[in-house]
Amino acid sequence: MATDRGDLLQGTLDMLVLKALQLEPMHGWGITERIEHWSESVLQLGQGTLYPALYRLERQGLIASEWKATENNRRARYYALTRAGRRQLQDELVQWQRMTRAVNLVLAVRGAAARAHPATE
Amino acid sequence: MTNRIRRAWGWLRSTAGRHRLERGLDEEIQFHLDQQTEKNRRAGLAPDEARRQALVRFGGLERVRERARDEIRPALLDDTIRDVRYGIRVLRKAPGFTASAMLTLALGIGATSAIFSIVRTVVLKPLPYRDPERVVTIWETARGGAGRNVIAPSNFVAWRERSATLQHLAMVGPAGVAMLIGGRPYQVSGLTFSFDAFNAIGVPPAMGRAYTEAEDVGGRDAVIVVSHEFWQQRLGGRSDILDTAIVTDGRPRSVVGVMPPGFTVVGQRADFLIPYGQSVEQLRAFAGRDSSYAIARLRDGVSLEQASAEMRRIFGDREKENPRLNATRKVVLLTLQEQMVGDLRPALFALIGAVALVLLVACVNVANLLLARSAAREREVGLRTALGARRARLVRQMLIESLVLAGASGLAGLGVAALCHRALIALVGDRIPVPRIEQVTLDATVVAFTMLIALTTGIVFGVMPAMVATSDANSAVRDSGRHGGGRRLHRVLRTLVVAEVALSLVLLAGAGLLMRSFLKLQSVDPGFRSSDVLTAGVQLPATRYDFTRAGSLYSETISRVSALPGVQHAAGASCLPVPFACIGTSFWRADRPRPEPGQISSGQVRPVTPAFFATLGIAQIEGRDFAGSDTATAPPVAIVSEEVVKQEFGNESPLGRRLRINVDHVSGRNDVEWTIVGVVRNIKSALDGPPRRTVYLPIAQRPALGITVFVRSALDPASLGASVTGIVRALEAEAPVDTRMLDDVVGGTIARPRAMSLLVGAFALVALALAGIGVYGVMAYSVRQRTQEIGVRMALGATRASVVRLVLAQALRLVAIGIAAGLIVAAALTRLLERLLFEIAPLDPWTFATTAVLLLLVAAIASYVPARRGMRMAPIDALRAN
Repeated sequence: MATDRGDLLQGTLDMLVLKALQLEPMHGWGITERIEHWSESVLQLGQGTLYPALYRLERQGLIASEWKATENNRRARYYALTRAGRRQLQDELVQWQRMTRAVNLVLAVRGAAARAHPATE
Repeated sequence: MTNRIRRAWGWLRSTAGRHRLERGLDEEIQFHLDQQTEKNRRAGLAPDEARRQALVRFGGLERVRERARDEIRPALLDDTIRDVRYGIRVLRKAPGFTASAMLTLALGIGATSAIFSIVRTVVLKPLPYRDPERVVTIWETARGGAGRNVIAPSNFVAWRERSATLQHLAMVGPAGVAMLIGGRPYQVSGLTFSFDAFNAIGVPPAMGRAYTEAEDVGGRDAVIVVSHEFWQQRLGGRSDILDTAIVTDGRPRSVVGVMPPGFTVVGQRADFLIPYGQSVEQLRAFAGRDSSYAIARLRDGVSLEQASAEMRRIFGDREKENPRLNATRKVVLLTLQEQMVGDLRPALFALIGAVALVLLVACVNVANLLLARSAAREREVGLRTALGARRARLVRQMLIESLVLAGASGLAGLGVAALCHRALIALVGDRIPVPRIEQVTLDATVVAFTMLIALTTGIVFGVMPAMVATSDANSAVRDSGRHGGGRRLHRVLRTLVVAEVALSLVLLAGAGLLMRSFLKLQSVDPGFRSSDVLTAGVQLPATRYDFTRAGSLYSETISRVSALPGVQHAAGASCLPVPFACIGTSFWRADRPRPEPGQISSGQVRPVTPAFFATLGIAQIEGRDFAGSDTATAPPVAIVSEEVVKQEFGNESPLGRRLRINVDHVSGRNDVEWTIVGVVRNIKSALDGPPRRTVYLPIAQRPALGITVFVRSALDPASLGASVTGIVRALEAEAPVDTRMLDDVVGGTIARPRAMSLLVGAFALVALALAGIGVYGVMAYSVRQRTQEIGVRMALGATRASVVRLVLAQALRLVAIGIAAGLIVAAALTRLLERLLFEIAPLDPWTFATTAVLLLLVAAIASYVPARRGMRMAPIDALRAN
């Protein structure tokens, strides 16, 4: 559906949400805006998918929510990282960097080396 | 761990606030769409288009709602609800199994919670006093004895003046008065209660006031405090009750206070409290012991041990000051708890043990039933495992099934508890003094306890079958035959049967001991014939009668009662022959010196009228009965029991010999010599005790204001009672008359062992029935398992009898192991019953043997039924069964 907008790997959305909340508490719409902005509009979320993720993270105790007034004096629900959420974010960043490094290494292999070690059946 | 707690908390919160959250979700989405629309509009889109774009960016609204809701309502809960529904369906599909399991459990749970309700009120619930653990009661008791006995008022005065560790020392003693209510006389029982006792327990009247020191020791004691219940039930609950007068024993007392509802004095109900009304000097001058104990409060920072030590020291001084009074005594301090349940404890422990055993047997039985049934579900389990269900998931589902079963049984158990409860109260009734028994109710705590027990049992009996059933699931699918996990399962089943038989045997042995002990107690010959004797307690108002007037009223009463048609004998006595000693005092031969204070062995003295022995059927051995000529002014005479003759005179005839007795003669002197004119057979005032030395005196020479009239007659007790009451009332309209059959009075003294043997016996029967069902279940399963084998045997020419023998032998081997194990456990446990047993050893071989045979018999019957089914199977069907 959203292939052209940068499909998200499963589980990545949760990490991005945590990252978006790292600096300050934010409401749902703000989170989508922030991710879009930081990814230079490459990652355009199917915005609706954000909410189940928020509820899941809250149930897991990684974020906490609170109803507050916005600058325009509207009622909105603000999400904030809990301490467990911060720890989770750290873990996932480390994990992500290991993963991306490994994937990059694989992708960087030249054709000749690839032929020297054919995959066995 | 903290992580798990946090997750659990999050789950709970999200479950609890689900609706709130869903409403929050809609508001959140609305906010989101508004923000996006606004952004789009700022980017130059028309309002409608901006809205449309926002919706597109958001994605399917319903889908988002659905998925968010899924996150809110966690899978665990959904699964649980599904499991519960599934469990209910499974149970409903097997009504026979469900009914028997539920019945079994409901019996166990109900009995347990009924006993719990009693133990809670009687033992566990603290008395509603201020700091009840700081209140102590004080008794004097015979040295070397364990019981508790009344105190001497002169000692009490000394304690009050000298103790530095106790405050608010007060006396409490029984008080029975004749009270006029609505013009009719009633015998009402309450307590004499020192003014300071209110302070000792820290409970003032709920209405009005307590009486003051001046009213108690100053002699202005025409005051009374009544209980809430007495005020409500007997005095009509009038709100203007305070300061009205109640006539007690012929004199008016002003009601100054009403105690709070449910008030008891250390567990004892009292319809009223009245002051002693005696000055310190009067108390100090009181020669012997009255019928009171003392109650007091520990001063701050003082422990019970410190107070006891001080009281022992003071008592030591008192012994030097008055050796005659105190030489054979010692002082004991008891906590309220100890005083209330001290001598009930062995019985309560035995009951708790018995219900625990019943519950355990019930659990084992249900585990057994579940297991046998899970055999039938082996393939279901196997299939589900093959399809990828995790074992934990399957165990959980089966556990939830057990919990559903247990929950339903718990509800049914409440019904059983209510029935048990009613039966228990009826059994205990007024005959067994159990403190606060009237306050026992099935309240929320008991309901909570019941459900807790139910769920615990659900887990206990549910886990094991679930583990067993799922442990070998793979092989169950592989083996298409009936033998799959069966062998292993069968081993568990057999172990359970052994356990069940052993537990039942323990309970049966205990019940057997109690039952035999009770039968022995019941067949004790008390020395008098209690059948067909009516007793009528008569109390005269003290203000209008002296001993002479009372005496003539009593002889007139007895002669009129004797003249009633159908009456064989009538007589009177100061006391009932059981359960008390009447006047417990000392006596010695007049031709010997008075024994030293420490040497006197006490006996009982019973003032009676002529014809008392004939009326009660006490055999006269020597000499004569009392006669009308033994008047107050005639020479003092006495009739003694065989035991007195044996101990004091040996083989000599006691007739004409003289006794000195430590009681007042009607003349007020206590140094008269009583000439022995007769000897009668021993009577027992306690069926479980030895015969005590008894001296009978003519009631005319040792009078009392109260009397019990005995009437031997085959007439209907009710109409006879009415006639006797009528005769007394005609002579004195204000005298309360309390009629009872002597059989009931005697029965009342052994009501407690009777109740114990009935209760434990009932529990044991339940356990026996459960054990029978258990054996039956396992053998039925076993026969089903061995259908093929039996078929082969029969095809090869085995006789039907040999098939039955095969099955029976298997069953009885199991039962024999169970019995052996049970005998060992029972031998270790029945020692705990020792204090409840009368003339029977805790290891009574006869009881143990009978019990074992009984169990064997029940087991044989229970396994014969499935054995016969195996026998009846035609060989060809058996072979085809697979």
